[in-house]
Amino acid sequence: MEQKFEGTPQAEIKLEGHKLIRSDVTNDWGLRVQWLIKRDGQVVDNPNARADLTYEHPDQTPGTYEVILQMWKYVNYRKKDGEYVESTYIDISNAVTYTI
Amino acid sequence: MLHIGNERVPLCGGNTRRSFLQAGAATLTGLTLPGLFQLQAAGAVDESKAKIKNCITLFLVGSPGQLDTWDMKPDAPDDIRGKFKPIQTNVEGVQICEHFPLMARMMDKVALVRSLHHKTGASHENGQRWMMSGHDFNENNPQPYMGSVISRVFGPKGNLPASIILPDKIGNTGTATPHGQQAAYLGSAHEPFFLGGDPASGDFKVANLTPPAGQTELRIDARRNLLKQIDEIQRRSETKATRDLDTAYERAFNLLTSPETKKSFDLGDEPDQVRDRYGRNTFGQSCLMARRLIERGSRFVTVNHFDTVFNLSCWDMHADGGGLDNTYDDYERLLCPQFDWAFTALVEDLEQRGMLEDTVIAVLTEFGRTPKLNNRGGRDHYPSAWTNFFCGGNIQGGRVVGSTDKIGAAPHDRPVTPPEVVASIYHAMGIDLETTMMPGPGSRPIRFIEAQPIRELF
Repeated sequence: MEQKFEGTPQAEIKLEGHKLIRSDVTNDWGLRVQWLIKRDGQVVDNPNARADLTYEHPDQTPGTYEVILQMWKYVNYRKKDGEYVESTYIDISNAVTYTI
Repeated sequence: MLHIGNERVPLCGGNTRRSFLQAGAATLTGLTLPGLFQLQAAGAVDESKAKIKNCITLFLVGSPGQLDTWDMKPDAPDDIRGKFKPIQTNVEGVQICEHFPLMARMMDKVALVRSLHHKTGASHENGQRWMMSGHDFNENNPQPYMGSVISRVFGPKGNLPASIILPDKIGNTGTATPHGQQAAYLGSAHEPFFLGGDPASGDFKVANLTPPAGQTELRIDARRNLLKQIDEIQRRSETKATRDLDTAYERAFNLLTSPETKKSFDLGDEPDQVRDRYGRNTFGQSCLMARRLIERGSRFVTVNHFDTVFNLSCWDMHADGGGLDNTYDDYERLLCPQFDWAFTALVEDLEQRGMLEDTVIAVLTEFGRTPKLNNRGGRDHYPSAWTNFFCGGNIQGGRVVGSTDKIGAAPHDRPVTPPEVVASIYHAMGIDLETTMMPGPGSRPIRFIEAQPIRELF
């Protein structure tokens, strides 16, 4: 029996200074949830967001940072060359930006 | 179809009492309720012994690698220690995998046993039999599942079956041998009740409690009324055996038609926040249902995390590029987070409801995985060393029993065997294994298990 996942996860994030604050996830699939952090459009980190509702990225490199919350969406476990074919991370929140 | 009872009772029109019940009752897979209830009515179940704790086992079919989860070896060579890093828990000196961050915060409630091992083969089914029954065995000499033992000796507390398995029975895991989740010589009345459905599915219904198409509860009630009339005629020749049978029928009807019973399986009753907290997935919702069933009178609930190891993301991390292609990515993205979220929800929920002291949680696997990564970056079956853990009931949290050598290949101290785990579960439920016996083959009294509990857990 494949695991079934009910509903569509959703959360809100906001900024207090450079500190990220997220809400609880509704329709939480219980899979990996991560902060996707981009600097000037390039992904620089994706730390686990499960354990805490807040996070402050330690990187002080100058640039414009955009952050969004993502959750793993499992469709099936098929992989090609080590990469999932259909399963993927999906955005589950609004995006926030800040500049250093 | 549910066949209630075995005796043919002739009626005027040539029908039998049995056929009336066969005609409309719902399927109860592997469970003959009248037999169970008849046994109770006959006094075989001593209610005075029924004051034991409950148990929920989370059975991680496929089996996670000890080095990637709860017995990490960060100082071992690259091809042994694997990809993940350990994190500190709230118990000084105890570390677990970084992908169990919530569990790390409640290790003071959890007791790890890091020196499990067995020597009878590396198939999933060997491990399933060991961990579900405390025995390895073959088809010719089956041994009963723990839940069946509890059902046989202590009986149900109410309308719910004493022993329930969610969400479904284990299917193909490699060899066509028993999985250890059967009543064996204890009889069909003590087979576990298999939910046979997915509680995370939007259209979930308990198939085993839902009358088939065309059969309504009213028709079942009509049958019960007719049965009562037939019973009146039969009173003239009534014996104790038939009275017991009547009680059994009544309780079977109650299970089939009782709104309270159905409500036990209805997760729609739970607040959205609670359902979210367990995880909106098959395993998480099964854990939530386990709590509901224990809360409402079931004694022993097992959640099978997966019913097969083939062609799906599961703990069986061979990374073979084919039907067994689970990798570190599956552990990181799905398996570890899903387990961490649901397990910690269950512990928190039971504690908040004041149920944790009366409920043992046992997280069991079939074996460990090879210390050395295979040439595809996976790990294969390895019954020589692994970690399982326990909390609730009489278990003393914050403890680590046993250890493995520097590469997690063999117990270094305090080796523990599966029968000791099963004995520990019974002991944690409050069963005195020195004085409480169970009926063995031929109904001769035997010990629950020929092993001692792991004393360091208590």
